Amino acid sequence: MNVLEIRNLTKKFGDFIAVDNINLSVAEGEIFGFLGANGAGKSTTINMIASLLRATRGEIELLGRNIAKHNKFAKMNIGIVPQDLAIYEDMTAYENVSFFAGLYGLRGSLLHERTEEALQFVGLGDKHRSFPRNFSGGMKRRLNIACAIAHRPKLIIMDEPTVGIDPQSRNYILNSVRKLNDMGCTIIYTSHYMEEVEEICTRIAIVDHGKIIADGTKEQLKSTITDTKDIWIGVKSAESLKVDSLRNVQGVTAVRMDEQILKINSKTEVNNLNDIIQKLIRDRVEIRSVEEQEPSLETVFLTLTGRNLRD
Amino acid sequence: MELWTIGNKAGLLLYVILASYFSAEATDNRLLLAYLIYLCLNIAIPIFRDNLLRRLLATLSAAFIIYCALWLNPLFILLLPVNLYEWTDYGRLHRGIAFLLMLVPLFLAPWSVIPSYALAVSLSYLFYAANRSHTASLQRLDDERESLRLNQQRLQRTISENDEFMRQSAYTIKLEERNRLSQQIHDEIGHSMAGALIQMEASRRLLDANKEKAAELLGNAISISKEGLERIRLTLKDMKPRSEELGINRLRLFVDELASRQGMTATLTHEGDMDRITSIQWKVIQQNATEAATNSFKYSEATAIRIHVQVLNRFIKAVVSDNGKGAEKIVKGLGIIGMEERTAALNGTVIVDGTQGFSVTTLMPLGAEGENVHPTESEYSHGEG
Repeated sequence: MNVLEIRNLTKKFGDFIAVDNINLSVAEGEIFGFLGANGAGKSTTINMIASLLRATRGEIELLGRNIAKHNKFAKMNIGIVPQDLAIYEDMTAYENVSFFAGLYGLRGSLLHERTEEALQFVGLGDKHRSFPRNFSGGMKRRLNIACAIAHRPKLIIMDEPTVGIDPQSRNYILNSVRKLNDMGCTIIYTSHYMEEVEEICTRIAIVDHGKIIADGTKEQLKSTITDTKDIWIGVKSAESLKVDSLRNVQGVTAVRMDEQILKINSKTEVNNLNDIIQKLIRDRVEIRSVEEQEPSLETVFLTLTGRNLRD
Repeated sequence: MELWTIGNKAGLLLYVILASYFSAEATDNRLLLAYLIYLCLNIAIPIFRDNLLRRLLATLSAAFIIYCALWLNPLFILLLPVNLYEWTDYGRLHRGIAFLLMLVPLFLAPWSVIPSYALAVSLSYLFYAANRSHTASLQRLDDERESLRLNQQRLQRTISENDEFMRQSAYTIKLEERNRLSQQIHDEIGHSMAGALIQMEASRRLLDANKEKAAELLGNAISISKEGLERIRLTLKDMKPRSEELGINRLRLFVDELASRQGMTATLTHEGDMDRITSIQWKVIQQNATEAATNSFKYSEATAIRIHVQVLNRFIKAVVSDNGKGAEKIVKGLGIIGMEERTAALNGTVIVDGTQGFSVTTLMPLGAEGENVHPTESEYSHGEG
């Protein structure tokens, strides 16, 4: 069953079209990534999913129910980690989490239990009584996450949760995203950090100018622009090399010698590095380095949109 | 509207009856008769459809009320406002007139009924005004809905007509093509094959008697067959559209024209295997490029325009960009919407960007579904444009 189903979603601000007729579905258990430059419409879409903005046109269904009609149901089942920190600096960490969880109707011992659980989860279990104003950027981000997950939502939306934090906290956050996913949460993740999206997302949509240009797994996205990769092998001397024997290796489409580097172009889906190297050894070629060059998501984005992610 | 008016009258009549019943005067049979006549007149009004008749009845009723108010019981005057507004309403007069008419009896009626009359006037008038404005807006909505429905029907019809037309023309083209082909095969190839056959038959008969003659005839048959084969090749080649009618060449023609006519620097580059683009996709690329280029020299003050067509593994990308002033905020006009619709028909998208000059990017998936497309071996080629 699809956790989220978006149909013909459009948002206009005056005559500026921020989100332009988006169709999308997110299945249960996915970590769905929204990839796009600043101003591409990611946050607008997310705010509409979270009912913070009213759509100009189109429908959003959460677990099969229209969120405009089942507002309370939608709110109970969505947890949002907003781009801008939403925590109170002069309340303790514990008070912050229990305040937000309380908004979802948790009371008494259950509230206490879930608050503890959420704080433990983000690694702030020993910071109950501390005030966020003394926290580092990463800790504030983690507290922000704890506030969003204490009521155990089915769908967690994270809008750029790793902006401006140290690498350690970043790893911690990425790990907790995976852990939440393992626990059965579906996650929507937006970022303009390509590596993060590439690392954790099971499916990715590339958004530009309010439209979804392509979506799929990262392999599918990469295959939209090419199905070959370059293998660069540094060799000492290639006089004894029989180039034709390399051309016969399965998957190889082109072989070229460039200075001291043997440049081989090969199909992405074929794993033929072993065969290639075996042939080189048999021909007594001395190998100095081996490098595989596959297109990154950054390249995919650049090729499809003609723009860099961080303009 | 009618139902509400009847309700209004009924309420007022009930008040008049109760008020006169509770007043000290003894019940008068004439009063009872008057109520019944009033009822008759006013029940008759909604029965008729003719506005003139209705107006007449309303006038009669009003006159009767005035008569009763003067001679029987002044309370009757309370019933007057409703008939007055009915009268103006059926006469399609301005409702202000109704209000003014309602005010007249204020000066003539006895002091005792004036407060009640004022109340009756204000309530009846309010009732009437609200009713009328709501009826008008309902009517407007109804009209609107009706015109929308008609419009929709018309569009539906156009769509089905177009579909039919497309089917028809596809069929016609197929028929024409088949005709042409069979004609050509008959005219050119059939004749030479028959000729060769005759020569070969003859050569078989002469084989024993005159070997030299037989060899000559066989030689003739061979050359006729060769010629026939050449004709088949030519016919097949002829069936393929000429290359300048297709794809990149047509686009090149357009770019050259643009450069010479508009005095802009126009360049066209391409990358990847152009043969993978189908003719319908070329058509969209061509139309979008024309549209984008038209926009460019209309609005952008650009001096150079660049068209780049790129075939990726599963996508076709066609970018038209200029070096003009661009646009901070893009307002979707008919042109952009047209491009989007054309492209969407082939499951593609259009990105319009105005941040660095103005650029229109058309993205379309390759292959029927864009999925499961396995390119052939020959398709590895890097940019040559």
